[in-house]
Order: sequence, then C-alpha cells, then structure tokens
Amino acid sequence: MSVAALDLGLRAQAAAIAAGEIDPSELLDAALTRIEQRNPALNAVVETFPERSREMLAAAPPGQLHGVPIVIKDEWPLPWRAQRFGAAELMAPTAPRESGPYRALRDAGAVIVGVGNMHELGAGSTGNTSYYGAAHNPWNTERCPGGSSSGPAASVAARLVAGAVGADGLGSVRFPAAYCGLTGLKPTFGRSAMEGHHMAPLTTLIVSGPLCADAGDCRLLGSALFGEELVAGDAAGLRIGIVRDDVSEDVTAEVGAACEAAIETLRAETGGEVREISLPDLPAAALAAIMITNSESMSGTRPEQLNRLDPELSPIARGTLKYRMLLPAAATAQALRVRAMMRRRLAAIFEEVDVIAWPTIPAPAPPLDSPLVELPSGTHTADQANVRGAALANLTGIPSISMPVGLSDERLPLALQLQAAWGENELLLDAAEALERGNERRWVESLPPLAEAEPTEA
Amino acid sequence: MEGTTSADEFIPAGLAALGIEADEVDLAVMGAVHGLLWPPIQELLALDTEEVEPERCPDLSRAPE
Repeated sequence: MSVAALDLGLRAQAAAIAAGEIDPSELLDAALTRIEQRNPALNAVVETFPERSREMLAAAPPGQLHGVPIVIKDEWPLPWRAQRFGAAELMAPTAPRESGPYRALRDAGAVIVGVGNMHELGAGSTGNTSYYGAAHNPWNTERCPGGSSSGPAASVAARLVAGAVGADGLGSVRFPAAYCGLTGLKPTFGRSAMEGHHMAPLTTLIVSGPLCADAGDCRLLGSALFGEELVAGDAAGLRIGIVRDDVSEDVTAEVGAACEAAIETLRAETGGEVREISLPDLPAAALAAIMITNSESMSGTRPEQLNRLDPELSPIARGTLKYRMLLPAAATAQALRVRAMMRRRLAAIFEEVDVIAWPTIPAPAPPLDSPLVELPSGTHTADQANVRGAALANLTGIPSISMPVGLSDERLPLALQLQAAWGENELLLDAAEALERGNERRWVESLPPLAEAEPTEA
Repeated sequence: MEGTTSADEFIPAGLAALGIEADEVDLAVMGAVHGLLWPPIQELLALDTEEVEPERCPDLSRAPE
C-alpha cells in the first residue's frame, strides 16, 4: 500500500493520508527504504535522520501536508542540523536551529525525511560540484541534475519523495527542475519562508521554492512555504509575451521546437494570444544579478579569511571566492541602476502581457564530467548559458516557473519558463496547469528510468 | 581601468592590495573566471544608464512606484 503511495504525487499522498487510506508511518518507512535503494546511484539525499523524522510525524498537526515526506535542501538549518550549503566551509556562522522553511513544513504537518544535496556554495547551475560529491540526474546518471538545488530535484524525479524545498538565487530551483523534468516555482521575492538562511538578512535575490512533479503539487507545497493558500484560478485569455533576441533564440533546435510547441499549446488551451515584446539588455541584467549577489554574499568576508580556507573546498570555489573580492564596486553600483531600469521595463511590459515565456535552459542536461553546451552561438559552460535566461526574475523580484515540455532525442527533459508580474504566483501555477491540460499531462507524468525501477517493498 | 584589465595585471595587483594569498591553482581558476566575467563587466560599465533614476530601497516584492 505505501509502496504504491510513494509513486503518487504530493496532493494524492496528502489526500490518501487524510482519508485514512495510507498510514503515514508506513509511508515514511517506505520512503526511507526507497532512499536506501535508489539514492546510491543519485547522491541526491546527503543525510537522513529516521528518529527525527518519526518525532516530526508523531507531533505533526493535521495540516495540508500531514504525514507527507519531504526533502529539504542543504541550505537551511534544522533544529538538529546546521546547513553546510554543499561546502566544506560556508563563510558564515551556522548552527542547528529552526528555519522558516522548517517551521512552514512542520506547521503544515509534513515530515522532513532527508537533506538534499546542492551545488557547492550555491554557485552553479549543474550540481556537479559539492562537498558531498556530485548529485546525478535520474534521467541519465552520467548527466547533471541541475543546480544549485540538485538533490531536491533528483529526489523528486526519482520518486524518493513527492516534494522538495529548494532555493533560487539565480535560477537554482528552475535549472534543476528543468534538467530533471519537474515543475519548479521561484516565488515573488520576499513571499516564501526564508528565515534562518544565512543570507536572509542581506539577500535581495534568494527565495525558497517548491520542486514537484506538477504545478498542482507546487501549489500545495508552495502554500505551506507562503503560509497562505495559493488559490487556484484560471488562466483564460492569457496574454503570452515572447522575446525574439540573441538570448532567447540561442538554444538547441530541440529546445526551441519544444518551447514553441508548448507556447502554442498554452495559447490554445487558455484561448489567449501570443505577442512579441521587446526586452533589451538581458545580458546586462544577468550580469547585474551576478554583481549584486556577489556583493551581498561577500559582505562581511575579510581578506584574511580567504587565506585560511578549508582545504576541502573545491579548487574552483577557492579561486572564485578570492576573485570575487576583487570585483569593482562601480559595477555593483551600475548593476543597481540596471535593476531599476529592468524593473520599470517589466512593469510596462506586464501592462501589455500576463506572462513572458522563454526556454528555462538553452540545452538539456550536459555530462557531469564536462558541463558544456553546444548552442548556435558556440560552445559555452552550462552556467554561462543558463544564467542568461534565469537571472532577470531574481534581479527584479518577479516570480517565475519552469515546467517540462518535452524530451530530447537522448531522452533528457526540456523545459519552458514563464515569468509574471510581482505577486502573480498563482497565475503562473494556473498557466502551468493549463499547459498540463493542453498536453494531456504527457510531460509531467513522464518518468525517468530510475523511477521506473521495481517498486520498493515496504 | 586601461592597462589593468588583463588577468596577468589585475589579479596579482588586486590580491596584493588586499593581502590575499593565492597558489598556482587559485591563480589558474581566477584567470579563467576573469576571462568569463571581465568582458561582460566592461559591457555593463559601458551601458548608458545616465537617464535611469535609481530606486532608493526598492521593495522587490512589488512593482516599482
């Protein structure tokens, strides 16, 4: 009974528990067993704590996620565990404590079953570098799962759990959602639980967000993180803005075709329209987001700290941290002007359209050992290519959602991203659900080979 | 910034000014990162934003006023 329940979505698990059809303690045991069985190939979950999980379940209130196992990214502290941020050294003080996402999950009745792996220091879109070792993509374990929320995404894609909490500072929920064939919501800045994150007092970019199989599950888990219900509506008459420029069109042919088809499906399903819009200076916006996050994350770092970095930090992290101390303040000041400029441009654009659509990732998941992508403009690191389309939402504060829209010839997920005006989190979920209806849930119900393996015997 | 934009000059000068030590591996990584980031930083700095009025303490959860 609980074996099959592990393959249900988040809503279905919660409903079955509420109806008494599933014993949540059996579901927890089944999840722990499945993690033991499938995680060695994934390295998605870096720590479980069965006794703590059972204590959470025993004390769980009758919330909307009562008894449902959830994975949380190694980015927030728990009362029994400090976050590592995927790194040997965090560059900030940490300690076990209650964090906002922990409280949100606890108060909704959820059970934290494990901590998800992440890209070292949150500084990558691939998930191929971590203190714990790389996480692997369930669609092809030689490929990147996406980062920085690599473990949460791989956990859900492999059906270790039906929902996971990630964080998105420059695309870190949307990239792994895209690479792993999931739906991932980057909420409007400041709306979802963030307390306890070591950057919470400083960041103007990072938010917590849900990673689930589909938009309805993201709505449920997102409601817990928001502390209020994300009410379902409809996206009738959706005005979809598309951008045709060097960034949005610099994608593989497969990505371009899948996203074009998805946009047409969304238009047809909502009875809406597609309008071409102009949004210049996207590369500057991406760099502006990088400059701002750099200044915020390096705040308080003293040069002498960089002379005694933990030797277990990766060489890339060590060199990059030192380089980041050298970046010119004038570029950060300019970045703040670009932020103001892009926010005003978006405010005007969202008078004309409801959402802006473009590919989440320009190419499907690259190899773990060589995370490069081949695009019409040439060969790029995945990080370079990915950030161009993701950072705008973080820079400006708008919400964004990534959803699966196809599979490549190599059976790797392809994804479309929608962005909406400030506060329009529900609209993005409504639109994603409309797309799911329009394509008959073909892509949200596609399973990676690792999740099609023999079900766990509880 | 003319004359200080190459990794060979910019990085050692910056490290020395801040008293940050770096070994060969650090320098190789920093040079690679510099090669990726510095050209777009120059483009960012060259962007004409004179007409852009900065937002003072923007509320990023809302549209600009």
